[in-house]
Amino acid sequence: MSVREVIADVLLAVAVMIVLASAVGILVMRDTYQKLHYLTPAALVAPVVVGLAILAQSGLTDDTVQTGLALVFIVIAGPFLSHATIRAARIRETGDWRTRPGDPGRPRGGSAEDQP
Amino acid sequence: MNGFVIAAIAMLIGTIPCGVVVLRGQIMAAVVAYEAISSIVVMVLVLLSEGFRRSGEFELPVLLAVLLFGSGLVFVRFMERWL
Repeated sequence: MSVREVIADVLLAVAVMIVLASAVGILVMRDTYQKLHYLTPAALVAPVVVGLAILAQSGLTDDTVQTGLALVFIVIAGPFLSHATIRAARIRETGDWRTRPGDPGRPRGGSAEDQP
Repeated sequence: MNGFVIAAIAMLIGTIPCGVVVLRGQIMAAVVAYEAISSIVVMVLVLLSEGFRRSGEFELPVLLAVLLFGSGLVFVRFMERWL
């Protein structure tokens, strides 16, 4: 077993652990907002680690570039999808994504949106 | 069976908890689980292509990754307004 294969296997093990931990987190967390925190490692960190594993195994080839392309799409799409999902959850819950008086974390005296 | 195939199988196990959430959770929680499954499946396809050394099959995860972005946004938008 060469050094490249060992590095690739270690990286793959890390990626698998990240995915499994995220999946368990999505299962056990209570609401959508908490579950979304566990989507990020599976959608952002694990693809990067998988890409590095393939790079370590195969070097820079056509296949590696195609793999990188697929994983870059996931990494770019992840934050946009998370934002859109949390926005949709908020709108379904309260009817609007903006904060309301009495919401936790809202600045005293209202926010800039309240000014005429 | 090499490390990539084993990793792909292990990652597929991660879709089981997400599938439980899709089937039994609230609708927005199910969307989150669906997005996680989509990301996992893209990685599984990449790993299987590398594991079996089939260059032609690398196009499938690229296509799925692009579709994941578009379909996810459309899905979430429908959830927000109409479903």
